[in-house]
Amino acid sequence: MNVQELMAVQTQALAEVADAGAPAELEAVRVRYLGRKGQLQTIMESLKSALPADRPALGRAVNELKQSLTAALEARKAVLDAAADAGKTSAWDATLPGSWRRVGSIHPVSQVIAEAIRIFARLGFTVADGPDIEDEYHNFDALNTPAHHPSRDTQDTFWLEGRRLLRTQTSPVQIRVMESQPPPVRIIAPGRCYRRDTADATHGANFHQIEGLYVDRTVSMADLKGDITYFAREMMGADINVRFRPHFFPFTEPSVEYDFSCHVCHGTGCRVCKQSGWIEISGCGMVNPKVFRRVGYDPETVTGYAFGMGVERIAMIKYGIEDIRLLYDNDARWLEALA
Amino acid sequence: MRIPLSWLAEYVDLSGIAPTDVAARLTFSGTEVEGIETIGASCPGVVAADVRAIAKHPNADRLRLVRVFDGTAEMEVVCGASNFEAGARVALARLGVTLPNGLTIAATKIRGVSSSAMLCAADELGVSDDHSGLLLLPPDTAPGTPLAEVLGLPETVLVVEVTPNRPDCLSLIGIARELAALCGRNVRRPELEFAAAGAPIGERVRVSVEDPARCPRYTARLLDGARSAPSPLWMQRRLRAAGVRPISNLVDVTNYVMLECGQPLHAFDLRMLKESRIVVRRAAAGESLRTLDATAHALTPEMLVIADGAHPVALAGIMGGAESGIADDTTTVLIESACFEPTGIRATVKAVGLASESSYRFERGVDIGNCEWASRRAAQLMAQLSGATVAPGVLDCYPVPPAPRPVAMRWERAQALLGIPLESREMMAIFKALELPVAGATDAGCTVAVPSFRVDLEQEVDLIEEVARVHGLDKIPAPAPVARLVPGADDRPSRSREQLRARLAGLGLDEAMNYSFVSERLLGLCQVGDPATRVKLPNPISADHTILRDSLLPQMIETLGRNKARQVTAAALFEIGRVFSRGTGGVYQEEERLAIGLLGPVGRGGIVSRAPVTAEEVFGALKGVVEAIWSAQRLPVREIAGMRRPAVDWIGCDGPLFEAGQALTILLDGQPVGRLGVVSRAVRAEWRMTEPIAVLEMAVAPLLAHALDVPAARPLPAYPPVARDLAFVVADAVRHEDVVATLLQAAPKELVDIRLFDVFRGDAIGAGRKSMAYALTYRAAHKTLTDEETNRMHESVMQAVSKGLHAEIRAG
Ligand SMILES: [Zn+2]
Repeated sequence: MNVQELMAVQTQALAEVADAGAPAELEAVRVRYLGRKGQLQTIMESLKSALPADRPALGRAVNELKQSLTAALEARKAVLDAAADAGKTSAWDATLPGSWRRVGSIHPVSQVIAEAIRIFARLGFTVADGPDIEDEYHNFDALNTPAHHPSRDTQDTFWLEGRRLLRTQTSPVQIRVMESQPPPVRIIAPGRCYRRDTADATHGANFHQIEGLYVDRTVSMADLKGDITYFAREMMGADINVRFRPHFFPFTEPSVEYDFSCHVCHGTGCRVCKQSGWIEISGCGMVNPKVFRRVGYDPETVTGYAFGMGVERIAMIKYGIEDIRLLYDNDARWLEALA
Repeated sequence: MRIPLSWLAEYVDLSGIAPTDVAARLTFSGTEVEGIETIGASCPGVVAADVRAIAKHPNADRLRLVRVFDGTAEMEVVCGASNFEAGARVALARLGVTLPNGLTIAATKIRGVSSSAMLCAADELGVSDDHSGLLLLPPDTAPGTPLAEVLGLPETVLVVEVTPNRPDCLSLIGIARELAALCGRNVRRPELEFAAAGAPIGERVRVSVEDPARCPRYTARLLDGARSAPSPLWMQRRLRAAGVRPISNLVDVTNYVMLECGQPLHAFDLRMLKESRIVVRRAAAGESLRTLDATAHALTPEMLVIADGAHPVALAGIMGGAESGIADDTTTVLIESACFEPTGIRATVKAVGLASESSYRFERGVDIGNCEWASRRAAQLMAQLSGATVAPGVLDCYPVPPAPRPVAMRWERAQALLGIPLESREMMAIFKALELPVAGATDAGCTVAVPSFRVDLEQEVDLIEEVARVHGLDKIPAPAPVARLVPGADDRPSRSREQLRARLAGLGLDEAMNYSFVSERLLGLCQVGDPATRVKLPNPISADHTILRDSLLPQMIETLGRNKARQVTAAALFEIGRVFSRGTGGVYQEEERLAIGLLGPVGRGGIVSRAPVTAEEVFGALKGVVEAIWSAQRLPVREIAGMRRPAVDWIGCDGPLFEAGQALTILLDGQPVGRLGVVSRAVRAEWRMTEPIAVLEMAVAPLLAHALDVPAARPLPAYPPVARDLAFVVADAVRHEDVVATLLQAAPKELVDIRLFDVFRGDAIGAGRKSMAYALTYRAAHKTLTDEETNRMHESVMQAVSKGLHAEIRAG
C-alpha cells in the first residue's frame, strides 16, 4: 500500500458519500470504510507490514483519509436529514384559513357621526343630546319658526298627542343646551330626525343630522366659514373646497347654505355632482338674536353660529352609496364589506 | 318662479353679462337659480301654415285629415288635435325636421292614411308645456314664415327658487332690483301714461272695506269699451315663457302685471256686480261661491270675500267667482288691486283647499305700497290692448298707510359679525343700490327707512345680511379654526358609546340600523312589549310604519330573516337605538337599547364545519359576546372566592318570543336590564328559518356607566398554583351553575379558579346522565401548597360534589 493507492481509496470513498441518496445508503458507506471491519481498519493493519521509513508518511495519509471521510459523511447526513424534514412538512398546510374571528364593522352613519365628533372635538366641541320626542316649543317656536310655516304641517311632521312631535331636526338640542347653561357654548348634537317623506333613493322617514352651535363673545361669519372649511377637509379630503350661498332659515341671520366641491371629479363635473362640480351639504348661519332672547342670552354681549348637516348624505358621498335605503337594509354581506 | 331673460331686460340692462353669470349672481346673493332653460330652440324647418280644409279620417274618429298650405305647396296631414278650424294658422314641421323634444318627422301612415308632416303643439316645440291642442299662431301670419320669426324664439328662462322671506323677488321688477344692485346698474320701470275719459269711477262704483285688518288696502279702477281678444303675440310669448297660459287680453294683463311687479290683480265684469258695489267683508254663514275653476265652496265667517251688493263674487286674494269674471263679451272692467293680510289668506287656502299664484304671493306678503301703481299699469295695458277707455280716478281704501320702518345698524357690529373690515360707505352704497333709503348716518351707524316692499327687514342683523349677500360671502375670509375649550364640558358619554360600538365590532359583530317605525303586524308576530304603552303615530306615512318601536328585537329578528331569505348563512349583528313608550299618565318615554342577533355558525372560525348549528351553540355564542362586552365596558364585578365576575344574575325568561327554557333575563342589582334567548320556532317560521337564532336586547345605560373606569392593577400571585382535575357523572338536570355553587360553598379560600373543560353524554354513561370535567386551581396567598395540603382540599371538594349533586366521581 502506498500513498497513491491511499489517495485513490479516498477519492472513491468521497464519491460514494456524495452518491448516497438516502440515510441508509450513507450508513452503508460509513460501515464499508469506517466500520469495525471496514476498509480503513484493513489499511491500518497493513501498515504494520510497511517499511519503517515509509510509515510516518503513510500514517499521515491514513489520518487525513479518515478525517476527510468523517467530515464528508457528517455533511452529507445533514443534507439528507434536512431533505427528510422537508418531506415531512409537506403534510402541514399553512394556507388553511386562520381560525380567529374577523372584526366587525361599524355602520356608516355611526362612522360619520364619530368622525364629525372627532373633528369638532379638536376645536373644543363636546357632544350634546336631546330627546327624539320633542315639544313644539323646542322644535319650532324657540327656533323662531313662523306660526304658519309649512314645516309645522301634519303633511311634513309626525305629530303625537299634546303638541308633542318627532323632532324634524336636531336644532332643538341647541335650545336645550342654551337653556341649561350660560355662554360660552361649543356643542355638536348628532341624532335621529323624522319627516314625513316618502322613502326614495335620497329620502327616508327617519334620518340623522348633526347640529353644531358655537356661542361666545365675538363669533363671526369668518369663524363659521373657517370651521366649516376645516371640517370639510378633515371629513372629505384636504383638497376639498367649500362655497357658501346666502339662504333663509328662521333661526339664523344671516343664513347660508354650503356646498363641498365634488370629491370625485374635483370640480370639473361628473355624475356624482350632476355635472355641477359641487355637492350641496346643508345650512348654517349666525344665530338669530330672537333665538338668543328666547333662551335668555343677551344678543348684545354674545354672538354665535349654528350649522346642520345630514349624516346619511355625507355617508352616501363618502362611501359611494347610491341609495339611502341600503343604509337601512342591513344585509350582512354589505355590512361585512365595510369592516 | 320663471324669469324669461328678454322680458327681464325691460327692467334692467344686462347687456354684456352672460345668462350663466346672471344666474350665478342671483344664486350667490340668495335667490337660487335652479335651472337655465332655453325654450323653443329656434326650430329650423317649422313654419306657419294656413289650414285650408279639414276632413274626417276614414278609419279613426279622433283623428282629422287637415289640408294645409305652407307657403309653397299644399299637403295633407293627419292630426289628433281639434282646437282649430279652417283658416287658422298653425305650426307645421316639415319632413326631416327634428323637434326640440328629439322627434324627427318621417313619412308615415297613420291608420292607413299617409302623412308626411306634423302640426305641432306648444310643448312639442319647446315653447311651453301646453299640450292641450295645437299652438295657434296669429291669423295674419303669412304661410311659410319660419316659426322663430313669428315667436321670436329662442328664449332663455331662469328658474329661480325664491326663499319665503323674500316675496319682493316673486316678480320681474323684484329680480331686476336685485340684479341692478349686484351688477351696478339701474332699475327701469315702465312709463305709465294713458288718457282718462268719461264719468269718474267715484260716481259709478262704491267700494267699502268692512274688515280693514284683513284687507288693509283696496283699490278699484274702471275701464269702458273693452273688446276681448287674444293678446298680442309678444305678451303671449312672455306669459308662456313664464309658465302662464294666455287666455285673452284682459285676463292676460292681470297675469302679466302680477308677474311684472308682484301685485296679484283681479278683473271683474262690472255688469255682473249687483248695485255696482264692492264690499270686502267676511262671508256670512251659509253663503257659497263657485270659483273660476268651477268648484263650489261653502263659505264660513272666517273667510274674507269680495261681495257685490248681494253675494260674494270672489274669495279675497285667492280666486274670483265664475260668474263675475271676464267673459268674451265683457266691455266694462273693474280692476281690483288690493292687499290682503297673509294669515287670513293662509287659513282660507287651507280651509277650502284651493291655492293660486295670487294666494301664494299674499301668503308671503305683497307690497302694500304698490297696489295703486299696479292698478294703473293694468289699466294702461288693457286700454292699449283692448281699445278700452279708462274712467278717471281710482277708489283707494287705504285707511292707515304704514310708515317706513326705521331699522338701525352699527358699522362696528356689522364688521364684527361678518368678520370683515368693510367701510361704512361701502355698506351705505349697498343699501342705496337695493333701494333701501338711508334716513340718517353717523360715525357709529345708520338708520334705514325700510320701504314697504321689504317685509323681511326687521332688525339690525337683517341689514347686516343685506350687506353680506350683496358684498359677497366669498369675500369673507375662512381663517384656520381656533380651538377654545368650554370649562366643564363632558365628553365621556359619547366616548363610552363609541367604545361600546368599537368593542362590539371588535368581537366580530356588524352594526345594523333600522328605522324607528315598525308595523303592528311585526309586533304582533313577535309579541314583545306592551301594546297598551306603545306610541302609535296619528299620521303614519305607510302601513309598515305605524308604531314607534318599543323594542329592537322584532326588527333584529326580521333582519336575520331577510338575510336568511337572501341565502346569507351567517350573520352577527348589533344595533344601538332608541325605543319609545308611554309611562304613567301617558308621558312619552325613550330609552337607548342594544340588540344583538346571531344567525348561523358565526363563532366558528377557520375551517367552517358544516355541522348544523344547535340552539346551545348559538345561545352560547351570544352569551359569550354578552360576557365579553360586560367586562370590556367594565360592568361592576363581584369577587367570589378570589374570582371576579360581573355583578349580574341570570334568571329564566318566559314569553312567546323565545323557545321554552332557552332564554334568560339579565338582572343587574336585582333589576332586569335585558334578556337573551333562542327565538321560538313559531316566530322563526314567519321567515322559514328552521335553524335556531339567538337574540339579545338590553339597556345601553349600564354599559356606559362604567365604560371609562380605570381598573386597578392587581399584583401577580407570589406562589405557584397547583392544578387538579375533577371529573364526575351527574344527572342531566344538574347545571354548570349548580356545580359552581356547590364548589364555592365547599371550597377553601385557596381554590382560585374553576374551569369547565368537557361535557360528554353517551351510551357509556347512560341515558339522562352526563360527564362533566373541571380544571380546578389551588393557590395559597403566603406559601407554596404541598401535595398533601392540596389533596386534602381537593378531597373535600370532591366529597361536596359527590354528596351535594349525587355525582359519581370518576377517577381522574
Ligand atoms: Zn363631480
